[in-house]
Amino acid sequence: MTWEPHIFKELHQIPREEHVFPGTPLCAGCGGLESLRLASKVLGSRVVYINAAGCFTNLASFPFTPLDASWLYTTMGSAPAGAQGVRDALDVLIAKGRLPKDEDVKVVVLAGDGSTYDMALSSTSGAITRKLDFYYFCYDNEAYGNTGVQLSPSTPYGARTTTSPCSVQHPAGSTQEKKDIFEIWRAHRPPYMATVSPRFPLDLEEKFARAADYPGPKLFLAFAACPTGWLFDPAYTPDVARLAVECGIWPLKEAINGEVTHTYVPKRRPVEEYLKLQGRFRHLFEPARQEEAIKHIQDRVDSYWEKVKA
Amino acid sequence: MVSIRFHGRGGQGAKTASRIAGTAAFLEGFTAQDSPLYGAERRGAPVSASTRIDRKPIRERGVIARPDLVMIADASLIPDPSARVLEGVDERTVVFVNSPLAADQARAQFSIPGRVTTLDLTGIALEHFGKRGAISALLGAVAGRLAGLRQGSIREAIARELTDLGLAPPVIERNQTVAARCFEAVQPVELDVGARQAMAVAQLRAPTYEPPTKGTAGITAGPNSAIRSMSGWRTFRPVLNPELCNGCWLCFANCPEGAITIKPDGKPAIYYPHCKGCLDCVEVCPTDAMTVERETEAANNT
Ligand SMILES: Cc1ncc(C[n+]2csc(CCOP(=O)(O)OP(=O)(O)O)c2C)c(N)n1
Ligand code: SF4
Ligand SMILES: [Mg+2]
Repeated sequence: MTWEPHIFKELHQIPREEHVFPGTPLCAGCGGLESLRLASKVLGSRVVYINAAGCFTNLASFPFTPLDASWLYTTMGSAPAGAQGVRDALDVLIAKGRLPKDEDVKVVVLAGDGSTYDMALSSTSGAITRKLDFYYFCYDNEAYGNTGVQLSPSTPYGARTTTSPCSVQHPAGSTQEKKDIFEIWRAHRPPYMATVSPRFPLDLEEKFARAADYPGPKLFLAFAACPTGWLFDPAYTPDVARLAVECGIWPLKEAINGEVTHTYVPKRRPVEEYLKLQGRFRHLFEPARQEEAIKHIQDRVDSYWEKVKA
Repeated sequence: MVSIRFHGRGGQGAKTASRIAGTAAFLEGFTAQDSPLYGAERRGAPVSASTRIDRKPIRERGVIARPDLVMIADASLIPDPSARVLEGVDERTVVFVNSPLAADQARAQFSIPGRVTTLDLTGIALEHFGKRGAISALLGAVAGRLAGLRQGSIREAIARELTDLGLAPPVIERNQTVAARCFEAVQPVELDVGARQAMAVAQLRAPTYEPPTKGTAGITAGPNSAIRSMSGWRTFRPVLNPELCNGCWLCFANCPEGAITIKPDGKPAIYYPHCKGCLDCVEVCPTDAMTVERETEAANNT
């Protein structure tokens, strides 16, 4: 059951047209922006982005916007509720004949992991239960990035953030496991869900293209390598994103009506290769190797893929 | 009191440099205060930090409006009005610029009213560390020298501040060694910390709000951010050698900015005003058609 792309088979099929333009104040090398730019090439310009507070709020800072689509700003906890309002308004316009059906607009929530895994969970759950027809695009930089990189429920075990420093009590840094938001969404049985990485652009474009066939809630979890929060040189954004997938840490998968398919099965390089690239894991290697913590991370990855095979 | 204001780009280490200067002064028995200006700390965005050093308790707070010493980690910030690098600088202020230019040249090129001294910290860092990265220790050491602090206390302050950041002992030691060189290499200029004219009292004006019937702030234009130049963000620029390019489009796909476009012949082209210099394209290029060049002139020259 190897997964095959139907539409995007080679890089030259990536649309040349841009919908997220340059000139944003986001960091040089932002992996989240890279994903959004690629996603927008399939989503197009007939979109309303409902953006929960986070780094991406800086995209459109008055009087500038990089988007050729519409944009609405909400609190961290309420983007799916905002999406419901916009969707309802569009439906009313269509029903009244004031908006032709073929000029309909896609409703896309744009939110960080702080919103997605944490503050907006109840609002999201409600929207999925109501079968709201929307996309949920989470750029996952595994921390509350915009406010200076604090621990979020998405921060993985062993990562150092400003609120999970490596300390005498907690030499590994963060001691929590990354919350499995994919499974939380899947328990709601939405029609379409996927994880993506910008370093696998065809996989990303293909998933956005496929999702268009599924009315209802659609989740995209985008790996957002964050040079500022994860402490690596911006030039390594593509390497960090590639190794996250190749080491098995960021599985590329999709779930249609809850049925999971892994869209790429990596040979699985040792997780060390991924960890070593990033300052947020440096304390696991220097001044002394924290064997147990590294093994813990490797074991979690191994047991995930064991279950995939079973 | 000596007031030092640091300016840099997020990721360069201006904030840590300000801490190093403050901690070194504290170790010498001074009262010291150091604080970054809260704002977007995004990599590449302008950041500033203030350090005050005195024998007496320091009652002043906030951003330094009339600095005795301004430390500029990135010359490309000088023409950027939002960075406000030269604010409150007059002919008595000492201005340090991280630049390969001689002091006179830098003074003329950037129209700096104050007394200028320069040192190419980026060049020194590249030579000793072999890659771009924070120059906090070097900048902190130069600030310390100009403020009259001792080399020993700066060395200790670097150790403390970099340990706090989780850097490994060998890295810290290397930073200390290179910082000591910068301490010795910079041409000192005597600070003039005599009586300074107080700033005129600022009058606060209540903003006049539009009535809500006029609607809320909105941008109705198309994607207008593309008119901004990002050139000043770069320390390095990617350079494309078309002969080596195999036309795979990986750079086009992986540029977070959309600064790489595809020409009618199917080959990529970099539009520099849109490039922040992340160098992701260099990293993904399978044929080494992308190389790296250090930016030499100040910003906005594409
Ligand atoms: C209810 C609430 N609490 C706190 C904040 C402050 N705040 C603004 S952005 C942000 C970080 C958001 O993190 P995340 O959703 O992961 O997005 P990122 O900044 O990482 O892109 C926080 C905490 C807020 N806007 N609203
Ligand atoms: S802090 Fe990270 S996620 Fe936020 S804009 Fe910068 S690189 Fe992107
Ligand atoms: Mg986040």
